[in-house]
Amino acid sequence: MISRKPHVIGKPFPLIEAQKKLTGVTCYAGDEKIVPDMLHARILFSERPSARFWLSNVDAVRNHKGVAALLTGQDLATRMGQTILDREMLAVEQVYFAGQPLAIIAAETPEIAEEALALIQVTYEDLPAVLDIEQAIAPGSPQVHPDFYDYPGADALHADPAHNIAHSLTFSRGDVEQGFAAADVILERSYTAAHLQHAPMETHGGVAQRQPDGSVTMWMHVQAPFLQRKIIAKALHMDPAKVRIITGCVGGSFGGKVFVSVEGLLAAIALQTKGRPVRLLLTREEEFKGVFTAPAMRAHVKMGATKDGRLTAIQASYDWDVGASVDAALFHLQSVALAGTGPYAIPNADIRTSAIYTNLLPAAPLRGLGVSQVHWAIEQHIDELAEILNLNPITLRQWNLVKGGDMLFPSFIMHANGLQSCGLQVIDAIHWHPDASSHHDDTPEPDTPKKRIGQGMANGWSPIILSEECGSSISIHFDKENLCNIIVDGVDIGQGLYAFVTQLASFELNIPVEWITVEPTDTANFAPDWEATYHNLLWSTGHALLKATAKMKRQILAYVSEVWEEPISNLDIVDGEVISYASRRRYPLLELLEQNAENENNAPVFSVTSVYRPPNTDGSIESLLQSFASTAYAAEVQVDEKTGGVTILQLAAAADVGHALNPESVRAQIKGGMIQSVSFTLLEEMIFENGIPQSHNFRDYPIATTADMPQQLHPIVVEVPQQSGPYGARDLSHHVQVGAAPAIANAIYRAVGVRIRDLPITAQRIYDALQAKRAEEA
Amino acid sequence: MKHEIQFIINGHARSLTVESQQTLLEVLREDLGLTSVKHGCSTGECGACSVLLDGEVVNSCMVLAVEAANTEILTAEGLATDEGLHPLQKSFTDHHGVQCGYCASGMLISAKALLNRTSRPHEEEIREALVGNLCRCGAYADIIKSIQVASRARR
Ligand code: FES
Ligand code: FES
Repeated sequence: MISRKPHVIGKPFPLIEAQKKLTGVTCYAGDEKIVPDMLHARILFSERPSARFWLSNVDAVRNHKGVAALLTGQDLATRMGQTILDREMLAVEQVYFAGQPLAIIAAETPEIAEEALALIQVTYEDLPAVLDIEQAIAPGSPQVHPDFYDYPGADALHADPAHNIAHSLTFSRGDVEQGFAAADVILERSYTAAHLQHAPMETHGGVAQRQPDGSVTMWMHVQAPFLQRKIIAKALHMDPAKVRIITGCVGGSFGGKVFVSVEGLLAAIALQTKGRPVRLLLTREEEFKGVFTAPAMRAHVKMGATKDGRLTAIQASYDWDVGASVDAALFHLQSVALAGTGPYAIPNADIRTSAIYTNLLPAAPLRGLGVSQVHWAIEQHIDELAEILNLNPITLRQWNLVKGGDMLFPSFIMHANGLQSCGLQVIDAIHWHPDASSHHDDTPEPDTPKKRIGQGMANGWSPIILSEECGSSISIHFDKENLCNIIVDGVDIGQGLYAFVTQLASFELNIPVEWITVEPTDTANFAPDWEATYHNLLWSTGHALLKATAKMKRQILAYVSEVWEEPISNLDIVDGEVISYASRRRYPLLELLEQNAENENNAPVFSVTSVYRPPNTDGSIESLLQSFASTAYAAEVQVDEKTGGVTILQLAAAADVGHALNPESVRAQIKGGMIQSVSFTLLEEMIFENGIPQSHNFRDYPIATTADMPQQLHPIVVEVPQQSGPYGARDLSHHVQVGAAPAIANAIYRAVGVRIRDLPITAQRIYDALQAKRAEEA
Repeated sequence: MKHEIQFIINGHARSLTVESQQTLLEVLREDLGLTSVKHGCSTGECGACSVLLDGEVVNSCMVLAVEAANTEILTAEGLATDEGLHPLQKSFTDHHGVQCGYCASGMLISAKALLNRTSRPHEEEIREALVGNLCRCGAYADIIKSIQVASRARR
């Protein structure tokens, strides 16, 4: 259990929120403000991917009994976005994707809202639709956004709207022509990955209410409330200070609750209901069809190597189907560009990544940030090259891995890292068998299809990007009533943020953990737009908190130094007491607060706010790069030759976290990432038919259950300290996803000799590949 | 149409008026404020709304409130006693059986039903018992461990 003593970094520490979550006390989106005069909102979503449309019966619905407010694109013609405003909050004359909101209603009951909304008649006049990447970039294809350059922010992108290219990033070094000329072997392959869903168990929702001063307060469980405040305020032409977002724990996000999808609409409708609170809760079907997907990928990789196993050149392109809006996917592209070579020191590289507009549901980053799909390509490619070169795939990797001191580009020298170590530890964990391909045959009957076992592995790296938005603000108040109360800008989405903050503050201030409480985020607390969120949560929160606790300690010691008339340098805080090393006096902090409370009318006596500002960048992707995080995966699979079914017997994942501040929590995060990766690899695919989502529920879109778990999981924590990270630690959010899919694909290849280059690896795909292989052999 | 129904919820007898079409999930959450019972799909696929109904696990989104008349219902709110947390709650806390926590109460309920049937379940049995409870965070391994530890502690 929680110790009474101040916490020591690097030791087990249970998650603070866990008890509340297990007793039903934690408030999630659907639990917010269930109050009697609350109204219920519902959204009308487009059913066509590309069409002009007309709504009729709108006025009748507006006057329908029990309807408090209704907004259509005619009432609210506005666009939203962070960088480029390429998404309408409500479609005005034309729909750009199926699932685009056409209207939002607020009514006395959810039933009335639904009934009334059904009375609105939508007439569509279909327009040509662009439904995949091939079609999008083909000459003469319709343009998804013919008015692209009218959108605010469009000029900031490297676009080619005539070919539906919304944004491209390139990265190169050396001279690839020369690199390929020096190669003995050149391998070229294409790979794809399907659209995915974030599919948090908690669907999007919350409550919003207009305040008497015309501002709007939203109780919304989102991953990036400060970014959402900025986007919503901009779209509704409001002062950001007039949009207040109060969050609580989030029931899963995985990137899907970072950018604004339906939240802006909730704010807009709440501004219409004369101060009555409005609740919006998406159904599971709406969560699938009306929020975001993760983009589908099409990649082409060409790599050259010498006979003795030196990689000489890589040319790779990664194209992403981002649907009808690129805004939320821009960050994804940066990560992909920086990770695009895979973790190899290849002297000549040409990497290009593009976001392609289609008339599909817009894409948002998903845990793994596209870097896992990059490795899906690279790490299978390396395995295949090794086979052609007749080299051990692990040796080929180890020879070519980036090492500390390698110059990746003029502004970036690779730091000490865990790439080698991660790779070696995962193969150890599954008892790597050098020729696992040739044997292991557990069904001895002759002449019948067999179940075959194979092993595979993959290395991985993932860039950690620090842009201007990655700042963090933290306040600490220390008073008699609440003791040590900490206000953070990050959100607990299950990663254990509150536990981390408590642990660190207890350690730094040297006070018992029981004195510390962490407040859910409220945008009213801090003015800046930045926040500690998905990829920089630990980094930015950690830095801000180290500053804040140091400031707090100084404030307390300065106070006591005056009371005691002793120099501050004699003083320290130990186990919740101020002590003097010189006079040996002690002043328990609780007593100190008690006395002050009487003097100062209970006002917090000690109070600090600190901010962490990320380093300046010049906007280039190289200047955003802070470091790389390393991972590796190894898998042992059993493939049923008759059905193509895969059983994962063992899965090992190693992640370099710099310094595991709470080792059990880190292992828990790694295991969670492993299961989710298995789900992405073997099960998940968001299906569209003529642009219309066909995945509506967990039957159409299965996610991993306990039945899909690997039989054995080996989570491995690697600790190569992160220079300048808080206590040498680094974030563990995305890189835990990197490498699973190719490790499994490589294992399948070694088991049954077929390469699957399209994600997900379904039994059907393996079966078809086996049939094709048999036909070829016959 | 309105119905007057009675049931025992977390050890307390309650009578209330419900509409014919209201689900048990709706009544527990919105009328009785038992928000540990979560909405994840409303179609019986996720287990977030699991409760014990006369000792059996049901998805409360798939049960009409009127069908629950004269039954005994247990939700996660009813697990802890005056003596403190239920061994399962304690063990989930100590062994990282919770990440975002949205699935947690459903998991606890399925685990409780399992431990009522089998005091010392094997890992295989636990996996089977949880197959209807989705956890998107993928916390299954630690959830299973938490249940194993709790089952040992109960002996
Ligand atoms: S909400 Fe009942 S099973 Fe999902
Ligand atoms: S802990 Fe997040 S869904 Fe299970």
